[in-house]
Amino acid sequence: MTVTALPIWTVDMAGSVLMILFSFLCLHHIRCLNRRDPDNLIWTYLLWVCYFLAGFAISRSAGHILKQILIVSQYREVWETIRPYSGTINTFMLILVAATTLFFERVWQVYQNILNDRQALRSAHANLLHLNENLEKRVQERTEALARSEKQIAQADKLASIGQFSSGIAHEINNPLGIILGYTQLLLREENPESAKYEDLKTIEKHVKTCKSIVEDLLNFARSSKPVEGPVCIHDCMEDVLMFLQHRSAPDETEIVKNYDRSVPKMILDEKKIKQVFINLMMNAIHAIGKKGKIAITTAYEASKNQVRIKIADTGYGIEKKNLTKIFDPFFTTKPTGEGTGLGLAVSYGIIKNHGGEILVESEPGRGAEFAIVLPTAGRMGQCEVSHE
Amino acid sequence: MKKFFLILFSGAGIFFLLYSPALATQPHGAPEGLYVHQLSHLFFVFSMTVLIYWLRMRNLVREIGWRYIQYAAFFFILWTLDAFAAHMLDEQFEWVKVTRVDPWHLCLDASHEWISIFYYLIKLDHLLCVPAIVFLYAGLKRLSASAGPEKGKGKIP
Repeated sequence: MTVTALPIWTVDMAGSVLMILFSFLCLHHIRCLNRRDPDNLIWTYLLWVCYFLAGFAISRSAGHILKQILIVSQYREVWETIRPYSGTINTFMLILVAATTLFFERVWQVYQNILNDRQALRSAHANLLHLNENLEKRVQERTEALARSEKQIAQADKLASIGQFSSGIAHEINNPLGIILGYTQLLLREENPESAKYEDLKTIEKHVKTCKSIVEDLLNFARSSKPVEGPVCIHDCMEDVLMFLQHRSAPDETEIVKNYDRSVPKMILDEKKIKQVFINLMMNAIHAIGKKGKIAITTAYEASKNQVRIKIADTGYGIEKKNLTKIFDPFFTTKPTGEGTGLGLAVSYGIIKNHGGEILVESEPGRGAEFAIVLPTAGRMGQCEVSHE
Repeated sequence: MKKFFLILFSGAGIFFLLYSPALATQPHGAPEGLYVHQLSHLFFVFSMTVLIYWLRMRNLVREIGWRYIQYAAFFFILWTLDAFAAHMLDEQFEWVKVTRVDPWHLCLDASHEWISIFYYLIKLDHLLCVPAIVFLYAGLKRLSASAGPEKGKGKIP
């Protein structure tokens, strides 16, 4: 059958041109992608597929166009000469495209592995950075804790020496003071209360009693007096102290915030002495905040450490850094002469130490002070009934 | 190792000297070119089928760019089968004899007319390979658009 060659010719020519055109457009897009992300193996793979496809399109389409032109223009013999070369290149390019395409899965898998490795490296790097930063932080924290601990040990040694020294003096002075007080009281009995001598003896008795009180404080600080221990609820103790202070010292504009932990157990303590510690700390806090301020009392039972922490924080001026190491020294006071003996914190320190605990202070000038009493628990003996919150 | 190579090359030398004529190369006649070309078409079909298989296995066809590439592979398969059939009819088995009457007319001789018609139709193979490359272009364009503008942000689905 005889047919027209025009449709074949037209489709062949137009198709060949379009094949070349679109193969180059493909190449353009994939080159853009590859330039944008040269590390992406998939784009590199597609780039090579497109290179070979463009090569195939050119070899095939050029061959077709040339063939049609040469045949139509009666140069068939020329085409017959070129044909084997065109066909060989065409076959070669087709095999290259097919072979490259076949590696798609492998390339994909390799790229996924690269991505996973990259991710693993990134997370390992992040972990290392985190560890490095954390290590520095931890070293810094440990160094600070060590420095604090060294300071505390030095402070404890110093106070122990002072305590030993004070205890010796107190014992030596206590006996003569007792004799002086005894004889003064004997003389007072025989003297007429209306006489001037009676008044003088009364003055002697008053000052001797003050001296004895100071000596007792020194003995408390030196921990030479034996505590009278029994089960005590620290919340009840604190409430008694607050009641006592409310009537005597606390200004009306003092705000007291209580945050009691209900799980704090009763403990074996010397109630009177613990109350004395609370009074001393509260008095100091009241004195620090002046006319207006806030005092926060917090208790916490730290079961894992077998200890109870009682914090008394005020919003007062705070303590100068240079004074932080001296505040537990006997007779150290920042109060004006006559307002404090400087024995309150020293005595409190002695009492808490005598209970096997410790007393810590944190303060910055202008930001108030926070005293923390840490007492070891002597086994739980029942919950405290907290009705004061 | 050196001894091994010495023995190997000596043996090969003696073999080539003793036997005449030397069997160095095999002649490659005319039909080989056609067979290689036909095999390349079959290899291309295999390669494109494998590509479609992995694109579907990896669920890449959920993204439109890769889906277009899948369509491209499909049209390439159709085209290459078409070309394979055309080569088979006119060159390999010569079931259709094509004679050019004049530059614009062809004479197709086959045992049955439907074979001639079928041959005429499959000679329009660009109707299959052009859509294939257009789909490839569209797929790459989509991938390029979804990859984003910055380096290192190439989105791989």
